[in-house]
Amino acid sequence: MAAGASKAKKAKKKHPKAGTRMEGAEMVLQVLADEGVDTIFGYSGGAILPTYDAVFNFNQDRKEKEHIRLVVPANEQGAGFMAAGYSRASGRVGVCLVTSGPGATNCVTPIRDCMADSIPMVLICGQVPRPAIGTDAFQEAPIFNIMSSCAKHVFLVKNEDDLEATVRSAFDIARSGRPGPVVIDLPKDVQQHFGEFKGEGLLEFRGYDQRKEARAETKLDRKDAAEFFKKLKKSKRPLIYAGGGVIMGDASEELRKFMHKFKIPAVTTLMGIGSVDTTDDLSLHMLGMHGTAYANYAVEDCDFLISVGARFDDRVAGKVADFAPKATEIAHIDIDAAEIGKVKAVTWSHNGNAKLALTSLVKYGKDVKTSFSAWNKHVKALKKTHCLNYNRDAELIQPAEVLETMNEITKGEAIVSTGVGQHQMFAAQYIDFKNPRTWLTSGSMGTMGFGLPAAIGAQMACPDAIVVDVDGDGSIRMNIGELETMTTYGVNVKVLLLNNEVDGMVRQWQNMMYEERYSGTDKNLHQKDFVMSAKADGFEFAKRATDRKKLKRYMEEFIAFDGPAFLEVMTDKDAMIFPMVGPGKNYKEMIVGDFMVAREPEEEVEISGIGETSMF
Amino acid sequence: MLHIINVLVDNHFGVLSRISGLFSARGYNIESLCVGITEDPTISRMTVAVNGDDSVVDQIIHQLNKVVEVIEVSDLTCDKHVERELVLARLSTKLNNRSDLLEVVSIFRAKVVDVSNEAIIIEATGSTEKIKAFIDMIRPYGIEQLARTGMIALARSNKNITDSE
Repeated sequence: MAAGASKAKKAKKKHPKAGTRMEGAEMVLQVLADEGVDTIFGYSGGAILPTYDAVFNFNQDRKEKEHIRLVVPANEQGAGFMAAGYSRASGRVGVCLVTSGPGATNCVTPIRDCMADSIPMVLICGQVPRPAIGTDAFQEAPIFNIMSSCAKHVFLVKNEDDLEATVRSAFDIARSGRPGPVVIDLPKDVQQHFGEFKGEGLLEFRGYDQRKEARAETKLDRKDAAEFFKKLKKSKRPLIYAGGGVIMGDASEELRKFMHKFKIPAVTTLMGIGSVDTTDDLSLHMLGMHGTAYANYAVEDCDFLISVGARFDDRVAGKVADFAPKATEIAHIDIDAAEIGKVKAVTWSHNGNAKLALTSLVKYGKDVKTSFSAWNKHVKALKKTHCLNYNRDAELIQPAEVLETMNEITKGEAIVSTGVGQHQMFAAQYIDFKNPRTWLTSGSMGTMGFGLPAAIGAQMACPDAIVVDVDGDGSIRMNIGELETMTTYGVNVKVLLLNNEVDGMVRQWQNMMYEERYSGTDKNLHQKDFVMSAKADGFEFAKRATDRKKLKRYMEEFIAFDGPAFLEVMTDKDAMIFPMVGPGKNYKEMIVGDFMVAREPEEEVEISGIGETSMF
Repeated sequence: MLHIINVLVDNHFGVLSRISGLFSARGYNIESLCVGITEDPTISRMTVAVNGDDSVVDQIIHQLNKVVEVIEVSDLTCDKHVERELVLARLSTKLNNRSDLLEVVSIFRAKVVDVSNEAIIIEATGSTEKIKAFIDMIRPYGIEQLARTGMIALARSNKNITDSE
């Protein structure tokens, strides 16, 4: 929000280009530059040609450090996920620029993915000229309609005089409130229209603007805080449940202060990983379907659940009625009023910015004395007894072992993106994250193919960071064209491929629920040699580890390599991801597998295994 | 139960599709949806009649409040409000009991808006309940075609004296 406020101040000073006549496309570039955009991810085409021309001209007229870098993917979906990765890693709005029709429809998946994970992004797509709209013209698609169902907001620029304000408003809407993707459908003739650049102004949205202002003024006041602390003092076993909202709301620092001040342990959702340092004693890592057993036991045991920027989704609360069964109090802080009470009734809530709310709680709780030492001791014992583990005596390389090996080198400092499936969950479990915005994963949508392009975007946003794409053989195939994008632009990303020659997660469900009928998930007849493929795309470092003895050495070389690097590790296809709370099941029915310790149930619990279910 | 929700929206391109899309995407069943501009031509009012329990309707209101063009959402169901719907019905005039039909028309304070040798068109306004009763009453006379507007509604001011049905 602070950046927005300073921009508003700046806007009061006259824009140096105000009053200049220019083409619509040039206006787009000028507003992008004003918004601080340094990179555009996109693919050209007929209906967006004027704006690509404007990028060229913009850069030609400026010194190199003022250039807006253009990154061209193999497929527009790649550009969308690059912009998303850029945004997730940096907190800045990612920008994607594509042509009409197929260019735009290829971005539907990343736009929906950003919406589902609340990622701010602006997608500008060319559209056929206004007179041709609705005539089934070449490369025409009804993007307004298609994207309306997927995005936070969609503009079709019908009036050329609105163009400049529309682009500015798109950024404002993308980053304000609960962030999300905004699409601008931009007819070619509007890009070509000459008009006067005003240098300021937003479109007016009475309701949205008013809600935005109201939210900015909503303070967690002394009275709200007193109510909260009354509950906290009464509690003996409080637990923080932190979600992606903490990361998107840049509230990690405040959450950590709050956590340490009151010594309250914390579990995080998949999206919330990194909000607290996973190596912190108070961190219990991820909860939910494939959460750590100790995180899930802590949820079972807590009497006061404090949810910050999390939404009790089905991967966390598979069986809502049984979720946190002993929590007599549930607090919920969320920027989105629709999330409060949506799934689970709460006894205290605050609808507003998490950063401000947590700051207020720490401030008003300055003199609040709490002691949860018995609970802290209990949690510590849970962590020790029910720690993650896997088959350490297996003949074949285990996926968990690969990530453990990587973690010994990167030590919680790397930015990690993933595909979707078993490797994603193993990465969430076995890699440490000391900082927010270092764990990039398609959480809600679960989009296979996310990892490779997201890593490219993240590395471009954070060029000094070690960026690793932990991918699976199924996921990487989905956007494998982007391997070449890495070498083309010299993007220093480490691609760590866990190849088990199956779609592991789906296969695991088939194993558990469909009597081992592996329909469509076995890839062992596939012929692809991923190392050759990486080499063909120009990777100077491309190796395959099939032998445990080489794993550590290869991993060290791989991470240390200066430039794009590719390491494929052949892993055990029968390795399953545990713990597992089956779909629609409660935490008492958690299966920990053969290598972790389950807790003796207080009452008789029938763990019947996971049968075929309509739950997903 | 049936809820009547009033939504004020910026009168922008595509706003109807955004709102109706929200309903279909989240699986809410719209009974009727009426849109028209208000006293301020830049604002449209949508009256949505939707079936659902309180928690569903609560969620609908929250979700509507997130749509960028939505200015205000109010659930009129429990508040005092006036609701109206207009119906046009065309009946064959080859009926031999036309005077009986006209009596029904008169009881419901409906009116005949078109008449020819073949057909008669009747217009009626009222609450959804009244419209339903009216249609039931004229159905035996043979409805050839029927058009309904869907419900519009406004909250009553407490002080206002309003005409009763």
